[in-house]
Amino acid sequence: MASSSSSAAAGGYDMPWVEKYRPNKVSDIVGNEDAVSRLQVIARDGNMPNLILSGPPGTGKTTSILALAHELLGPNYREAVLELNASDDRGIDVVRNKIKMFAQKKVTLPPGRHKIVILDEADSMTSGAQQALRRTMEIYSNSTRFALACNTSSKVIEPIQSRCALVRFSRLSDQEILGRLMVVVGAEKVPYVPEGLEAIIFTADGDMRQALNNLQATYSGFRFVNQENVFKVCDQPHPLHVKNMVRHVLEGKFDDACLGLKQLYDLGYSPTDIITTLFRIIKNYDMAEYLKLEFMKETGFAHMRICDGVGSYLQLCGLLAKFSVARETAKAT
Amino acid sequence: MGKRDAIVLSSSDDDDYRPSPRSKRSYEKPKSKSSVTRTNPSRAKRPRIPNSRLAKQSSNVDEMRLAFRDFDEVLNGFKVSAGSRKSNTKELWVDKHRPCSLEELAVNKKKVEEVKSWFEERLRTPKGETGGSSVLVISGPAGVGKSATVHVIASKLGAQLCEWNTPTPTIWQEHVHNSSAGMSYTSKLDEFENFVERVRNYGLISSSLNGNSKSSIILVIDDLPVTNGRSAFERLQRCLVLLARSTRVPTAILITDYGNEDSSDLTARWMEELQLSLESAGASKVAFNPITNNSIKRTLSRICKQELCNVAAEEIDLIAKASGGDIRHAITSLQLFCLKPNAELYLSSSNSTPSYPKENANELNTSSGGFSSQYGRDETLTLFHALGKFLHNKRETENVVASDQNAFQVGEKFSRLPFKMDSPEKILCQAHGQSRPITDFLHENVLDFLSDEAVDDAWTVASYLGDADLLLATFRRTLTRHSETENVLQSAAASVAVRGVLYGNFHPSPSRWHAIRKPKLWQIDHSSSHNQNELLRQRFTTDVGPPSLSEVSVIATEYRPVLKWVGYRKAGDVGILESEDDSVQRMSMDEDSEICEDDDDIEDW
Ligand SMILES: Nc1ncnc2c1ncn2[C@@H]1O[C@H](COP(=O)(O)OP(=O)(O)O)[C@@H](O)[C@H]1O
Ligand SMILES: [Mg+2]
Repeated sequence: MASSSSSAAAGGYDMPWVEKYRPNKVSDIVGNEDAVSRLQVIARDGNMPNLILSGPPGTGKTTSILALAHELLGPNYREAVLELNASDDRGIDVVRNKIKMFAQKKVTLPPGRHKIVILDEADSMTSGAQQALRRTMEIYSNSTRFALACNTSSKVIEPIQSRCALVRFSRLSDQEILGRLMVVVGAEKVPYVPEGLEAIIFTADGDMRQALNNLQATYSGFRFVNQENVFKVCDQPHPLHVKNMVRHVLEGKFDDACLGLKQLYDLGYSPTDIITTLFRIIKNYDMAEYLKLEFMKETGFAHMRICDGVGSYLQLCGLLAKFSVARETAKAT
Repeated sequence: MGKRDAIVLSSSDDDDYRPSPRSKRSYEKPKSKSSVTRTNPSRAKRPRIPNSRLAKQSSNVDEMRLAFRDFDEVLNGFKVSAGSRKSNTKELWVDKHRPCSLEELAVNKKKVEEVKSWFEERLRTPKGETGGSSVLVISGPAGVGKSATVHVIASKLGAQLCEWNTPTPTIWQEHVHNSSAGMSYTSKLDEFENFVERVRNYGLISSSLNGNSKSSIILVIDDLPVTNGRSAFERLQRCLVLLARSTRVPTAILITDYGNEDSSDLTARWMEELQLSLESAGASKVAFNPITNNSIKRTLSRICKQELCNVAAEEIDLIAKASGGDIRHAITSLQLFCLKPNAELYLSSSNSTPSYPKENANELNTSSGGFSSQYGRDETLTLFHALGKFLHNKRETENVVASDQNAFQVGEKFSRLPFKMDSPEKILCQAHGQSRPITDFLHENVLDFLSDEAVDDAWTVASYLGDADLLLATFRRTLTRHSETENVLQSAAASVAVRGVLYGNFHPSPSRWHAIRKPKLWQIDHSSSHNQNELLRQRFTTDVGPPSLSEVSVIATEYRPVLKWVGYRKAGDVGILESEDDSVQRMSMDEDSEICEDDDDIEDW
């Protein structure tokens, strides 16, 4: 699998692993089996319907579309594919001119193959530009098909949604990410301990791009993948540390919890960093239902205040205090 | 290439332009489907809508030819278009299975009849003698068959259909534009205005070079130019209102409604405004509803039969439901769904094996069990499964996990039995749930699932839903900032809403079956913005800025009551009374009643 996707010597050693190990074939894409298997049929039989791939970042949407286009068009890729992503100008005029002109272009293709317009991060297009796309999509459907990728399909206007089949991608599971990491670790001969990979999976939170980037960063920084190195590289509070804070609160040791918080804060983590990790820990922490609900609520509110600009240490302490209050309230008498 | 020459003079579009996709098909496959190809005269004679800019520039023709020859040379580099010799299996199913007859049209019969009789009337009455405007506004959500209806009716009535399409800047046009200095750039809006101007003054006949004046003509405007900014929109509006007042060519303007889109999106608001002003200019209006589940199912089944695809009834049902009344999306989804990962199962229509191995069909059904949660436009459907779990709140009957002595003990009032389901966050993720709809749905439906006496529970639930709402409101404000922020706020809001409902519902009502309703709040938002538009329209001032809340409330609380009280009687008065009725109707929110008239079952959510 790895060898098929890594183009041996190309790029040398500092080529980003996300690119180096980007699957070239639809069948190499990990996870989202049902979606991927249908894309595979399209890659084989052609006649690709207009598609919207939607889902969280780093789940393989862009990869799928590129792989699909390559498999469908092979040597014609260069002339028969128009790729536009968010960094390109995709205002109304581009959509009108560039895309329409591309749609009108004559390209000789085998039967069942069509030119493909790839619009990555389509949800960042203005609705005006999307409007302008509407008719083009319809009028040239016999020669040109569209593949859109986006994070939330609801930001794609309804007339476009109406003309596309929607394929939803979900976050990858820890196993799926681990599987891919093992392939890369093997191919690059990265020394690691299992806890190190676990830490990478935690920091990635279902995002394969993040996982590969963190792996590469840890490796190039420390040449060894263990927990410490991963969290240092990723510049995230160590989850164990945060977990201990929560445990202290639940055990009624408010002082210890505050001490832990102070240590984190002194290490230079921003309130947003701390609270993001905290939320993820609470989500998976085994505690009474009421407490979990209250903790999540309070974390959400604290986050809200931080977003409003009140990003002080005091807010974080206050949050721990609120946790304790909730605990006191719920305590069995 | 002679064909292209003609285009230089007559049409702004190139040969990929097609008035209706079927004309394309008849051109490719003259022998097949002869019954289809000859029903619509427009197929034989393509309407020619000259581009005024080019037509007027006829002195430049030589120059243009010259430029054009260069283009030809470029063109010769490419060969025949891939699409031009394709077999039928390579089409999109929405094109391939386009309705050809009134019977095949999945649209509500009454609406079709309305449109049809309107056109019949306009075509029958000699031009200029019709009372009222020659413009019909057809509005409705995306994919409910607005264009299809007009196409079918036109062919049924034997009328020639002319479509306005936003002109394409083809390569040669750009070339000409660059090489001949005399030609100035015209925006799409300018071109549209010119076009409308021409239609108003001369109709379409005079511009038709082939002089086929006997057949009647219908003009369709399906592709309104995109307007950027208020002043451009107002130009468009003015120009359409003029058209509605004075054209004599029967014209259908198709306007896509934006359902529950962000009300912050101005386009939706403007489109509503546009409709209102067209109506007050005398245009008739037919509003299409989402297509009923049953009609969609019927169409999907027909397509399955024609494509020799064996799809289980439940799957068709799911696809239909998930499309949210959008038949185009349903058909597109079906096309994707019918891609069988298993090679033997995939039968193209050219390879027509009539029967299926039984066991393979079964296998297919099991493998596709997750369909509904992965495809389909209507996200709300994919939520239903999850919502059901949250609302029914299934719990273990006893605390199966032996509680750890050291673990923190919560008081009886606060303790709950373990869930009989995955963690709420996992369910949310699987359902691809967005926080806002989840919160709204829970809010709408949760009371049905509380036991009647449990007022305390209702109190708890409401308070948590309120918290979730607040988190979401903040989320909206910070939307533009980095994505990590979005993530925590979004998931916190969803978790608080869901867990609040689960935790708060301590005394679930004895398990009865409840249909899950769509949030009324959405409808209220919709009617409120409609009413607001309506109010603003009635202002007698001409400067129209973005509506501010204070303005609206002044109109509602002072202006209108005073007008009524004074007994203001003038020309504008009639309009006010009419629209008043309208807004009252909308406020009663009985929009379902319209759907009830349908011969099909009502979708109950
Ligand atoms: N499902 C997957 N299988 C294998 N690699 C993946 C997968 N998803 C993401 N990746 C890796 O992450 C990188 C980014 O993926 P991409 O497809 O761009 O994600 P997005 O969904 O954000 O478009 C790819 O280059 C690839 O290396
Ligand atoms: Mg991407």
